Amino acid sequence: MKHLILKNISKEYGGTTVVRDFNLEIEQGEFVSFLGPSGCGKTTTLRMVAGFEMPTTGTITMNGAEITNNPPNQRNVGMIFQAYALFPNMTVAQNIGFGLKIRKETESAIKERVDEMLALISLQKHANKYPYQLSGGQQQRVALARALANRPQVLLLDEPLSALDAKIRVSLRSEIRAIQKKMGITAIFVTHDQEEALSISDRIVVMYEGRIEQVGTPFQVYNFPETNFVANFVGTLNSAEAEVVDSAQGLLNMDGIQFKTSQEEMKGRSTGDKIRMSIRPERLSFAAELKKDNVLDCVIENITFLGSVVRIQVKIGNARFNMDTFNNPFLELPKIGDKSQVTCSQEAVLVYSGEATA
Amino acid sequence: MSQSQKRDAPKARPVSQMSWAWLGVMPFFIFAFMFLLYPSSTIVVRTFQDAETGSFTLKNIINLMRDPYVLGAYSLSIKISIVTALGGAIFGFLLAYAAIRGGLPRFMRSSLMTFSGVASNFAGVPLAFAFIALLSPTGMLTNWLKAVGFNIYDYGFTLFKFWGLSLVYMYFQFPLMVLIITPAIDGLRREWVEASENLGATTFQYWRYVAFPILLPSLLGCTILLFGNAFGAFATAQALTGGSAMNLATIVIGAQLRGDVLGDLGLGYAVAFGMVIVMTVVMIGYSVLQRRAERWLK
Ligand SMILES: Nc1ncnc2c1ncn2[C@@H]1O[C@H](COP(=O)(O)OP(=O)(O)OP(=O)(O)O)[C@@H](O)[C@H]1O
Ligand SMILES: [Mg+2]
Repeated sequence: MKHLILKNISKEYGGTTVVRDFNLEIEQGEFVSFLGPSGCGKTTTLRMVAGFEMPTTGTITMNGAEITNNPPNQRNVGMIFQAYALFPNMTVAQNIGFGLKIRKETESAIKERVDEMLALISLQKHANKYPYQLSGGQQQRVALARALANRPQVLLLDEPLSALDAKIRVSLRSEIRAIQKKMGITAIFVTHDQEEALSISDRIVVMYEGRIEQVGTPFQVYNFPETNFVANFVGTLNSAEAEVVDSAQGLLNMDGIQFKTSQEEMKGRSTGDKIRMSIRPERLSFAAELKKDNVLDCVIENITFLGSVVRIQVKIGNARFNMDTFNNPFLELPKIGDKSQVTCSQEAVLVYSGEATA
Repeated sequence: MSQSQKRDAPKARPVSQMSWAWLGVMPFFIFAFMFLLYPSSTIVVRTFQDAETGSFTLKNIINLMRDPYVLGAYSLSIKISIVTALGGAIFGFLLAYAAIRGGLPRFMRSSLMTFSGVASNFAGVPLAFAFIALLSPTGMLTNWLKAVGFNIYDYGFTLFKFWGLSLVYMYFQFPLMVLIITPAIDGLRREWVEASENLGATTFQYWRYVAFPILLPSLLGCTILLFGNAFGAFATAQALTGGSAMNLATIVIGAQLRGDVLGDLGLGYAVAFGMVIVMTVVMIGYSVLQRRAERWLK
């Protein structure tokens, strides 16, 4: 039996549908991310699971019991908000113990659980501080402990890291993931940061305009995006319009330049189709050493250091493509304006219909 | 900003040169000195000064303590201030909460704020006159009620005694409460209700453990301010009662200084000195509570 089932969920606000045909089944202990651009309905969906919004249609089932219309205080799901959700009039310990106090647990039981939670988030020293005395990252850890103290069935996190600076964001996200694994708790994590979703999720639900575009593991979503939107939204992508010139051979024509793609990508396409062709930057490399299926003349336009990666912008015909290579001190970089050749395999050339959406 | 500009910045504002900004704030300091510091220090000095000889004395304070008339005036002032502060605070808070969080249309809020801004400053002779026109024995409302067979003056109401004056004070008390409590209500975050519900709390438990404790310093601070507001009021009571029926502390001071009653100038200053002390305590209490509230609501 699946732990959490969202079936045919939709949500309308005064005639505008903001979530539609939402179907998702989540396993016990799974970490699922909702990923999508601003306004795509991630928060709305999460709030329906928490009970703050009622679905217009559809059902939500948790542990085999339908909870669609249960009020939020009778669901036992733990919610973590973007920021500022700690009770400012209570200390860290009182915040963590709040849910237990509401449940009328004994003083000693509360204290024991609070201490356990403080240890979990390594904030024992701060038990008697007030929220305004904590950093943003510490506050979010307390919020996590407060949600977990109640032993919720599901943990819901709505962009809990977006108000923090980059370094803490990265360390806290792995901390959240580690705690979630350790406790074996089912979690839904909302984010619009694709790197965040890719790095911590068991599965990612990519959403766009209230619909699910794709559900899959980070590996699947990144390497085998099912729609043009997913391909563009997850990771960086080079994208250009092209035409199928020979569907049997997998030949494409981009402004007079020929690309070869795999048979897999040609399924359902026929010669003459106008399509969109996409290549991930890391699938391109200089052709000097190893020539793959596609070898393309190019001009170096720009070089950007991104830390571990160097991104080189090349111009192929009239289209600009990004190419990523790993950085190392012995890297011999071309100069801007140099003529060169880049290469990629036929599998790297992804084909989608129609216009780009992202 | 470029590097060179940054480095030049201190040079552009030499310490020795008088800044023009001082000129801008001078009127404020002159004003504060002339109408706040100078009069209140005069009150303090004159309280401890013999009106005839000018030498130091505790006579005025002692006279004040012994004078049942003056003590009665303080007691009446305090009573009416407590009643109208509590009444204004409760009514004003409920009104502001309903308008801000009650899910009412947006224009309700802005019209309430506009009304409060005007009404909280509507005091003195015009206010007294408005209520006389409305609720005196021959007032408009009194007559209408009489016409439907309900004479409020048969039920012990009179505009010119304690409860009548309290009612008039309420007219500027509750709008002031609406104005000063609004930031605190705005500061209540939606996340707090939702987090508490999410942790299993009912609406009542949210109010008991979260919203009320968070609002408490603001509520207390604002109530104290309302107390001070009523305590210092003079013109409204003077105009309404002619200064005879209701001997408030402010009215006694007015009478003393004008030489109407006892003509003891020193005693007049001592009564005023007592009021300065009460108002100082009020302002300190308000700012301490306000600082505490801000810490939570920022
Ligand atoms: N209470 C509401 N009334 C009307 N429209 C709403 C309401 N809440 C959300 N919406 C609309 O629903 C859509 C989805 O909003 P939602 O907050 O779920 O987006 P999101 O994916 O969480 O975006 P973000 O990344 O910006 O948080 C938006 O267009 C929003 O304007
Ligand atoms: Mg959101």
